[in-house]
Amino acid sequence: MASLKRLETEFPILDPDFQSFCALRGIFTVQDFLIRDLQSLVADAEQQPSSERFMQAINQVLYVIDGLHQPWLNGVDLMEDAQKNKHVLSTGCEGMDFLLRGGLRRGQVTELAGPSSSGKTQMQPRVLQEVMNSILCHSVYDIFSMFDVLHCLESKLKYQMCRGDNDERLIIIDSISSLITPILGSSGSQGRALMVSAMSLLKKLAHEYNLAVLVTNHTVGGDGGIPKPALGESWKTLPHVRLLLSRDCGSNTYQVSLLKHPSIASGKAAKFIIND
Amino acid sequence: MLGRAQASRPSLSLPAPLHRIPLRAGNVVEIAGPSPSAKTQLLIQTAVSCILPKERNGVHYGGLGHSVLFVDLDCRFDVSRLVEMLRHRIVQVNGCSCTADDEEILKLSMRRFSYIRCYDSCELLAALKTLHHRLEKEKESNGIGGHLLMIDSIGAFHWVDRASTSLPLGGKNRKYLSLQNVLEVVVEDLRKLMSAHPMLVIVTKATIVGTTGNDFRRNYKRWPSAGTFDASSELEGLREPYFREYMPPIWQSFVTHRILVRGSDDHIAMPKSQENNTAYVSEWLLPRLNFLDKFVVRNAGVFLVS
Repeated sequence: MASLKRLETEFPILDPDFQSFCALRGIFTVQDFLIRDLQSLVADAEQQPSSERFMQAINQVLYVIDGLHQPWLNGVDLMEDAQKNKHVLSTGCEGMDFLLRGGLRRGQVTELAGPSSSGKTQMQPRVLQEVMNSILCHSVYDIFSMFDVLHCLESKLKYQMCRGDNDERLIIIDSISSLITPILGSSGSQGRALMVSAMSLLKKLAHEYNLAVLVTNHTVGGDGGIPKPALGESWKTLPHVRLLLSRDCGSNTYQVSLLKHPSIASGKAAKFIIND
Repeated sequence: MLGRAQASRPSLSLPAPLHRIPLRAGNVVEIAGPSPSAKTQLLIQTAVSCILPKERNGVHYGGLGHSVLFVDLDCRFDVSRLVEMLRHRIVQVNGCSCTADDEEILKLSMRRFSYIRCYDSCELLAALKTLHHRLEKEKESNGIGGHLLMIDSIGAFHWVDRASTSLPLGGKNRKYLSLQNVLEVVVEDLRKLMSAHPMLVIVTKATIVGTTGNDFRRNYKRWPSAGTFDASSELEGLREPYFREYMPPIWQSFVTHRILVRGSDDHIAMPKSQENNTAYVSEWLLPRLNFLDKFVVRNAGVFLVS
C-alpha cells in the first residue's frame, strides 16, 4: 500500500503539511485512509487554516483509492464478456459434458471430489487432450510453493495479455486438498485464511485471463457412511462448480453427481465408462 | 408523521420469500444459510424484478425499474443465469412473439445492473468509499432513482480478516486491518450511502462457522419424512440454532431483517419434468414469523411451493 510520502512525488498536493495533519490522526498510508471514517476527517480538515488545500488533497487520495478496486461493470458488458470469452472446454467425457452443459467453463473453478481410485486422475488426461498444445507441469509440495507458481503465472499472463496472445486455457491442481489439509487446524484461522486466499487468486486468474480451473479434492466419511468432500464447511462456498465422483466396485463404470452449480440444478448425476 | 415517512419511502414489492414483510429503502436484509441453499438464486430473482421496467411500449412487465448494484465478494456470479431468468420473465409477458422487442427490453434492463468483484477487504473498502461519488454523478445524469445494493456474501473474507495480525506501527491511534475494524468501516460507509441515496440493502451470508456436519444432520432428522409437512414439529427443530453467528455485534445490530434458508430433505416431484427438484425452506427470523416458506429453483426462477 502506497505511503502518503511516496505519493507526494506523483501528486504534489499531498505536501508535508497534509502528511503531518494525517500523521497526527494515525494515517500514514492509503490503507489507513480506507480504515478511517472519512466524514470526521473532512470535518477536521475544514477547521484547519489551509482547509481548501486539505480538501483537495483528500479528494486526490480518493482518486487514488478509486484505482484500488476492480472496475464497475455494466450488465451489458458482462453479457458481452461471457459471450466472447467465457466458453466451455470439453472434458473429453460425454457423460460429464452433458451434465455440465458442455464442459468446464472458462472463468470458473470446478472441484472434482472423490475417494482414491475413483477416477479423478484418469479424468485429467481426457481434459488435457483438449489443450495439448501447451502442458506445463509444476510439482508443489506445500501451499506456499503453489502461491509462488500462481503469482509467476499471473505475471506471465499479464505480460501475454499486453502482447495480445493468450496461450493458457486450463489450470489443474491435483490435489488441492493435499496442500490445504496439513494447514487446516481445528481452531486457528490461519489455515482457512490461506485456503480462502488461494481460491481467491485462482478465481481471479480464471476470470481475468479466461482460464478454466480444475481442482481435485478427496473425501471423508460423512453421515451414514456416505463419503462427502473434504475441507469442511468453509470450502463449500469457494468453488463455482462442485462434482462428486464415485466408482462402482471393481468395474469401469463411474458416476459423477453435481453438488453445486451456479446455473444448473444440483442433484443431477451421470454415469460413464472409462476404458483404458 | 409515520404516514408521511412511509409515503416518502414506499415499500417495494419483491419476489417470494421476501414478499412476506414490506421492505423499503433503508432496510438491511440478511439472507443466511449453509452452502448450497439457493441464496444467490434469491438475489438474482430479486435483481430481475428490480431491473425490469414497470411498463414499456404499452406492455406491463411489473418490474420496479430500479438499478441494482451487485457487490460480488464470493466472485462466483454467473451472468448467464441472470440473463436466463430475465429472458424467461420477458417471454412470459410478451408471449412468443416480437423477439426484437425482447432483446431491447433485455438490454435496457441489463443496463440497470452494475457489478463489481472484490478479491479482498481492501478492495471492498475502496469500492464502498468511492461509491458515493459514483452515485452522485449518476444522479446528475440520470436523475433520482431507487437503488438496490446486493452483497454476496458478507462472510467471504471472514477467515482472512480474522487471521490478519498486522501490528500497527508508528502511532497509537493508527488502526490496522482487523475483522472488527473492517466491519465497522463497512457498516459506517453503508449507513452514509443509505442516508445520501435511498437504497435497500440485501446481503447473503454463508454459515461457514458452526457445528460439525453431524449436528447438522441430527437437526435435519427431526423433520418429518417426505409427504407430511407438520408445521409445529418442524418449528421445534428450527428453534435451536444449528449454526453459530460469526459476524460481530456491530454487523448484527446493523441488520434490520433476517431470513434463514436451507435445503429441505423433501424433494418436490414436478409434474412436467421427470426429475425431482430440491426444495428449499426459508424462515423469517427477524421479525419472527411462525411459518416456513417452501420454494424450488427452476430454470425460470424461484417459485414458492407451499
